[in-house]
Amino acid sequence: MRKLFSCLLVLCLLSVSCLALAEVKDDVEAAAALTHDELVEKAMAESGTLVVAGNTSRIANAAEDFAALYNITVESTNLKDQEIYEKLQSDVIDMVMIQDGANLLAYINKGVLLNYVPASVKDLVKENDQTPALVHQYINKLFIYNNLGDSVPAIRNVWELTDPAMKGRVIFKNPESEKVNMNFLVMLTSPQWCEKLEAAYEAWKGEKADLGDYENIGYKWIAEFLENVTFGKSDTTIAEEVSQETAGGTLGLFVLSKLRSSSVLTDNLTVAQYDASEKGYVLEPFAGFMYPMYSMVSANARRPYTAMLFIEYLMTQEGFAPWGKSIGAYASNTSIPEKEGDLPLSVWKDTLVMEDPVYISENRNDVEDFVQDHLN
Amino acid sequence: MPSNASPGNRLVRTGGRIRAWLSTPANLILLLFLILLLVLTLYPLITMLLEMFTVHIGREESLTGLNAGEMTLYHFQRLFATAKNNYSRNQFWTPLLNTMAVSVTSSLIAILFGGTVAFLVTRTDMKYKKFVSSVFVFPYIMPSWTLALFWETFFKNVNIGLKTSNGIMASVFGVYAPEWFVYGFFPIALVLGLHYAPFAYILIGGILRNMDANLEEAATILKTRRFRILFRITLPIVRPAMLSTFLLVFASSMSAYSVPVFLGSPVRYYVLSTKMKALMDGTKGQAYIMVGVMILFGAAILLLNQKVTGSRKQFTTVTGKSGQISRIRLGRANRPLALILVILLILVAVVPLFTFALESVIVKAGDYSLSNMTLDFWIGQNLQERLDQGDSTGILLNPKVWSALGFSLGLAAVCALVAGTSGILVGYGVARRRGTRMSNWVNALSFFPYLMPSLAFGAIYLSMSSRIPWLGGFLLLALTGSVKYLPFASRSGVNAMLQLSGEIEEAAVITGVPWYKRMARIIFPIQRSTFLSGYLLPLVSCMRELSLFVLIVPTSNTILTTMLMQYSEKGWAQFGNAINLLIILVVLIINFTVNKLTGASIDKGVGG
Repeated sequence: MRKLFSCLLVLCLLSVSCLALAEVKDDVEAAAALTHDELVEKAMAESGTLVVAGNTSRIANAAEDFAALYNITVESTNLKDQEIYEKLQSDVIDMVMIQDGANLLAYINKGVLLNYVPASVKDLVKENDQTPALVHQYINKLFIYNNLGDSVPAIRNVWELTDPAMKGRVIFKNPESEKVNMNFLVMLTSPQWCEKLEAAYEAWKGEKADLGDYENIGYKWIAEFLENVTFGKSDTTIAEEVSQETAGGTLGLFVLSKLRSSSVLTDNLTVAQYDASEKGYVLEPFAGFMYPMYSMVSANARRPYTAMLFIEYLMTQEGFAPWGKSIGAYASNTSIPEKEGDLPLSVWKDTLVMEDPVYISENRNDVEDFVQDHLN
Repeated sequence: MPSNASPGNRLVRTGGRIRAWLSTPANLILLLFLILLLVLTLYPLITMLLEMFTVHIGREESLTGLNAGEMTLYHFQRLFATAKNNYSRNQFWTPLLNTMAVSVTSSLIAILFGGTVAFLVTRTDMKYKKFVSSVFVFPYIMPSWTLALFWETFFKNVNIGLKTSNGIMASVFGVYAPEWFVYGFFPIALVLGLHYAPFAYILIGGILRNMDANLEEAATILKTRRFRILFRITLPIVRPAMLSTFLLVFASSMSAYSVPVFLGSPVRYYVLSTKMKALMDGTKGQAYIMVGVMILFGAAILLLNQKVTGSRKQFTTVTGKSGQISRIRLGRANRPLALILVILLILVAVVPLFTFALESVIVKAGDYSLSNMTLDFWIGQNLQERLDQGDSTGILLNPKVWSALGFSLGLAAVCALVAGTSGILVGYGVARRRGTRMSNWVNALSFFPYLMPSLAFGAIYLSMSSRIPWLGGFLLLALTGSVKYLPFASRSGVNAMLQLSGEIEEAAVITGVPWYKRMARIIFPIQRSTFLSGYLLPLVSCMRELSLFVLIVPTSNTILTTMLMQYSEKGWAQFGNAINLLIILVVLIINFTVNKLTGASIDKGVGG
């Protein structure tokens, strides 16, 4: 009897939680057609604290402004992707800001995270930034070099980075410790980028590349690039170190927005693509890479409408302000311009390796295994 | 006799026996803690074991072709036996060897350095003892990465590592250290060894301080040579403490993450913990297997430790009799030896503090001129307008910092109180029922949380809380911290109680003094300083803990360490340095205050 009772209790609990998940999904689908005012009304009818987590420290500022605007309490945490997923599975979170589209796809497919595109910004966001997940902004990691001394690595072709003379002069974060870095390398093995890398090689050496045992030219570049790389522990440290007076001859591949930090001596740095745009040459075939930061509703949200209202807020000029005040962050909302002095998103999309979640999730197993062998 | 053997009688007898057994406080305590610890430590262990066989959402699904949630042996096969792309060698075997090398070396360094200093302080007439004794624990009070960061900024130069800048050694003294000295195996083992040397100092020093010198004196009278005395009498007596130190330092070094990342990354030197963290992102099953391997190694040493302390070779050093310690005269070597030690300690314990202070007042990195200095990051206002970054006020004027400090202090105090008190009780139970199976179980289980890497421990407690509706917020943080730091308190409790001879309590037992009075009036006062350090160690560790709490805190601004992490993520180095210094200063003030009020301090520490 007792056994039967406990079985029934477990069943009840399970069905209640499943129902709750299904309810949030329905709410999110229904909300697609809601106007801003209707969304506000629904959100204000909810009670409790809005819990948000993001792989960006500035989510805290946006959450504070949002809380003040609507007079509600918001709790925000700054976590890495993997920590967010960990928390999502065992804690209540209403919405997340997250990177690594390839991993995200799996969680969307499982129904852990739900996509919501606010009706008020639907026409302002490009279609491919709306599915499978709403892109809030793009972030770029660029080739940035120290401009002091006689051996300035003012590269014009990424194959220059594979030259033995560059050994130990290229600084990058270990791709194993941040997945967006790994994703960039995976993208280079795609047919589209192999073609570009081939052309760039010919332009550099004047002959076709000898592939040897490499599966394609993307693998060749990855292996030879990693051979020259020294790993820095974080993008902040890399930015600081490459900018030192004594760092002549070095080049880093790191987040452009790190230049906002007062500990980085920006005068000593040149962003390769800025130089190219200014002088009118093309960096063959890319100037770095770019990845989206997505905003999503959690399937176990307790305040789903407030979560959606927050997503809508983040998509506005006001909500984007914490990121928009420095260079290196680009709103997917096309009505929000880039920060003065920076290049527009359209230029970056043409010059950077863009993350394709589908290609990455289909090919990462092989490439990641290959990459890990070149990290030693 | 048929009437005596009737079932009713047997039941009464058994009931009586149980009642008698339970009326002994030590038994009751052990039973209570056995049940509690089984729930609180076995649950994480079982969760972890299951994770090793489970397919997780994402990459593992495509690697195995199975659905998330299904069971598989794939993770084992992949981690241990994948030859393609040298996968197993790169991801597991080489990092395992590196981990072993680092952990063993750092343990030896800690024992050698901490033990020698403990010997010099307790058994010789060395000068400046007071300074040495109070500063020696600084490296433990500071987060371990601070020493790593200091090592790097002190010795780095343009010929090695990132090859981008010169540290103090190169720029001021023109000395360019070789790469092996600054990055990789050597500095990682050394920094961890220095960071954990206070364990050795505390444990070995405790025994040496309380040791009755009769044995040594007898040997001296018999004209035994000093070295022979050291090797045949002193060392065997401190051997259990040395082994305990080895266990603590080995397990800590094995799961240390920041130090190997700071000093290993530039030369591609990987250890299990760095690989584990990377594998957690996408290949969780393999990451948990690594955690399991680390626990196995820790458990093996724990068993060895248990064997030694469980055998008759344990020495009771505090008896009802009087004893005195003879101090060796260092003679002419005294001052030079003391000076070398003082300089060394200033370098590893005091200079890093100044570095943080300095870095928190300069505006542009690397420019140490007075015109580049400001107290704005501490007490400035309207900073956003002037600096275009950071918070609008300095940290001391920021209410968020104060509330985080209050929360951190409250959390640390509760964890210390719960862990410390449990530790004393566990110590009493384990020591009084020493040798029984239950005592061994409770002793081992209470140490178990120490062997689990903090990040995994936090994650598992978070998942546990999702099944218990009332467990969340402060309560969850406090529970996690109390269990994780129980080992410190239980070690100190067990060691303190093992030193106490049973005869101390006997007179009171015979005259019928109740148990709680015996604890409060006799046992606690005698070993007060050791017990209090059982409270202090969890307090200190809790104040500077990050990875254990990072998943459980409601917001990044809840406690000081997650706030500090957020500041460094944003690249607001000065605010970060200021908060780091604030944490260290607060802990030092607590240690100092407790020391002045009660005579106890961390350096009096675990075991005496």
